[in-house]
Amino acid sequence: MTAVARTAPVAATRNDLLSWITTTDHKRIGILYICTSLCYFAIAGALALAIRTQLAVPGNHLLTPHVYNELFTLHGTAMIFLFVAPFALGLANFLIPLQIGAPDMAFPRLNATSYWMFLFGGIIVFSGVATNEGAAAAGWTAYAPLSEIAVSTGLGQDLWIVGVLMVSVASILTSINFVTTVFIYRAPGMTMWRIPIFTWEMVATSLLIFMAFPPLASDLLLLFVDRRLGGHAFDPAFGGNPILYQHLFWFFGHPEVYVMILPYFGVISEIIPVFARKPIFGYTGLVLAAFAIAGLSMGVWAHHMFTTGAVNNPFFSAVSFLIAVPTGVKFFNWIATMWRGSISFKTPMLFSMGFLMNFLLGGVTGVMLASPPVDYQAHDSYFVVAHMHYVLGGGSLFAIFAGLYFWWPKMFGVMLDERLGTWSFWFLFIGFNVAFFPMHILGVEGMPRRVFTYPDTGSLPELNFIATCGAYIMLIGAILFGINVLVSALRGKPAGDDPWGANSLEWATTSPPPEYNFTSLPPIRSERPVWDMHHPEGARASR
Amino acid sequence: MTIGLRLFLSSMTFAIAIAIAYWFIAHEIAGTFLLGFMAFALSVIAGYMIVAEREADVWGDQGSANQSDAAGQIVGTYSIRSPLPIWAALAISLILLGLIVSPTMAVLGLLAVLAVSALFIVQSR
Repeated sequence: MTAVARTAPVAATRNDLLSWITTTDHKRIGILYICTSLCYFAIAGALALAIRTQLAVPGNHLLTPHVYNELFTLHGTAMIFLFVAPFALGLANFLIPLQIGAPDMAFPRLNATSYWMFLFGGIIVFSGVATNEGAAAAGWTAYAPLSEIAVSTGLGQDLWIVGVLMVSVASILTSINFVTTVFIYRAPGMTMWRIPIFTWEMVATSLLIFMAFPPLASDLLLLFVDRRLGGHAFDPAFGGNPILYQHLFWFFGHPEVYVMILPYFGVISEIIPVFARKPIFGYTGLVLAAFAIAGLSMGVWAHHMFTTGAVNNPFFSAVSFLIAVPTGVKFFNWIATMWRGSISFKTPMLFSMGFLMNFLLGGVTGVMLASPPVDYQAHDSYFVVAHMHYVLGGGSLFAIFAGLYFWWPKMFGVMLDERLGTWSFWFLFIGFNVAFFPMHILGVEGMPRRVFTYPDTGSLPELNFIATCGAYIMLIGAILFGINVLVSALRGKPAGDDPWGANSLEWATTSPPPEYNFTSLPPIRSERPVWDMHHPEGARASR
Repeated sequence: MTIGLRLFLSSMTFAIAIAIAYWFIAHEIAGTFLLGFMAFALSVIAGYMIVAEREADVWGDQGSANQSDAAGQIVGTYSIRSPLPIWAALAISLILLGLIVSPTMAVLGLLAVLAVSALFIVQSR
C-alpha cells in the first residue's frame, strides 16, 4: 500500500527566512513559485510598457533598435518561460497534494531543487543585461542563424541559452513529480475519476512537458555547441540546417502553448461550478478533451513554419484545425455548467468570464492562422501578435488572476478585497482589449512584428497610439491588484476554511493548511468530496 | 490495468499512429524521428509501469476506501526542510555558467554537484 504516508512529528511552523530557503513543503514551494513568477511578470510587464511607449508614435527614438530587440526578447522570454508556465507549476505545487489528499509531493527535495533551478535560470537570463553587448536580442524563439555567434556576438545570448536550459530541466523534473504524485499518492477513495479537473489538466500538462521540453533542451545544447565549441549544426555552409532548429524549437514551442493554457482550463473548470452553484457539466468529456488537445498539440508544430516552404502544409493545417474540436467541447461544457446556474459574479468569476471572452477570440484567430493561405498573409505581422496575446494574455493571464483571487484565501488565510478586485478586473479587461484588439487591424494593414518604429501612413499611428493607451490602462489594473494584496496583508478579512462553498478537497482543511495538509479527511465518494460533506442529503441523492 | 497505465499506452499508440501517418504524408525525417522518439519514450514509461504495477496496490484506486482503512501503512517520512536543494541548484548554475565564463568554475560546479548528490544519498538513508 502506498497511498498514505506517516509523517514525523514536527515542531511548530517556522516562518523565518531560513525556513523558506530550506523548505521542501509543497505549499511553500508553490507560493515561492507564484511570487517569483509574479516578479518576473512585473519585469516583463515593465518591458512591455517600454515597447509600447516606443511604438506610441511613428519615428520615435526613445529606444535604439538594438535595445528594442533586447527588450522584446526579454519580454517574450520572461512571459513564456518565467511567468505563465511557471505560475501554473506553482499553483499545481500548492494544489495537487491538497486536491488528492496527499501530505506532500512524491519527491519533496526534487521539487525544491526544481524551484531553485527555475529561479536561478531566470536570473541568468536577465544577467545578460549586465554584459558588455547587452542581453540576448534574437527574440524568444532565438532562431538560428540569428542567434548564432556570427550575428549575436555577445555573452547575453549564451546566458539566455543556459538560463532557459535550466528552466526547461526544472520543468521536466517538476512534471515527473506531478505525475508520480497523482498516480501514487491519492488518498483512499480518491480514484482517478474523482480527482479534480485542475489536477487532471496538470497530468496532461506534465505529459506535454515530459514530451516537449527535451527537444528544446537538445536544440539549445546544439546552439550552444555551435556558438561556443565550433559546431555547425545549423550552418548550411558546413552541412547544417537552420530548418532543423525550427523543427526542434516548435516541437517544443507549440505544445508549450498548451502547457501555458491547459492548467488554466483547469483553473476555470474549478471556478465556474463553484460560482454557478452547479456541478461541472461533462467531467469525463472535459478530461478526455484535455488529453485530446495534448495529443493533437504534439502534431501541429510546423504550422509555425508554413512560410518556410519546407514542411507539409496540409498535414499541419488539418491537425491544427482538429484541435478546435476538443477546445470547443470544453467551451460547451463551461457554458452548460453556467446554464441555469445561480451565478454569483465574485472577482474570480469575473476573471473567468474575461478568460472565456478573450480566449474565444484568440482561439478563433488561431483557427484562421491554421489555414496556410491566411498564414502566408499574416505571418510575422501584428495579427499574429494579437492572436498570441489573446490566447496567453487574455486567456492565461485572466485565468491567473481568477486563480489568485480564488485560492488566495486558502494560501494565506485572508480574503482579497472584492471591490478592489472588481475595479482591477475592469481596468485589465478594458485595457487588454484596447491594447490588443487594434493589433489585428495593424497586422492586416501590414505592420510587421518586432520593428522598433513604423512609417506615418494609413491608420498605423492612431492604432498604435490606442494600443499604447490600452497598455497603460492595464497597468492601472495591475497596480490595483498590488494594492489589494497590501490591503489584504494589513487588514484582510479572515477567510475560514471554505469561503466560497467549494467542491474539492483543499477546502476541507484549514486556511492556510498545516504542514502535511490534513488532520483528517472526509469520505471521498465523488469528485466533489467537500460539497458531499456539507450536503450529505444531496450527495446521497446524486449517487 | 490502472488508468495511469492506460493513459501511457493510449498516448504511445497515438504517437506511433501519428508518426507513421506523418511519414507517409510528409516524407520528412526530422518530424518523423521526433514523433517516433516520443512514442519510444512513452513505451519505456508504459513498460516500466507494467512491471512496477505487479506490486502496486494504491489506496487511491479503491473507490470505497476511507482514511482509516489505510491507517498504519508507513511509507516513509517527509522532510519539510533540507538545505540541499538550493545547493544543488547553485552547483548546477555554476557548471553551466562555467561553460561560458571559465572551465575552472565548471569543474568546481561539477565537484559541488557530486558532493550534494552524496549528501542527498546520505540524507535519504
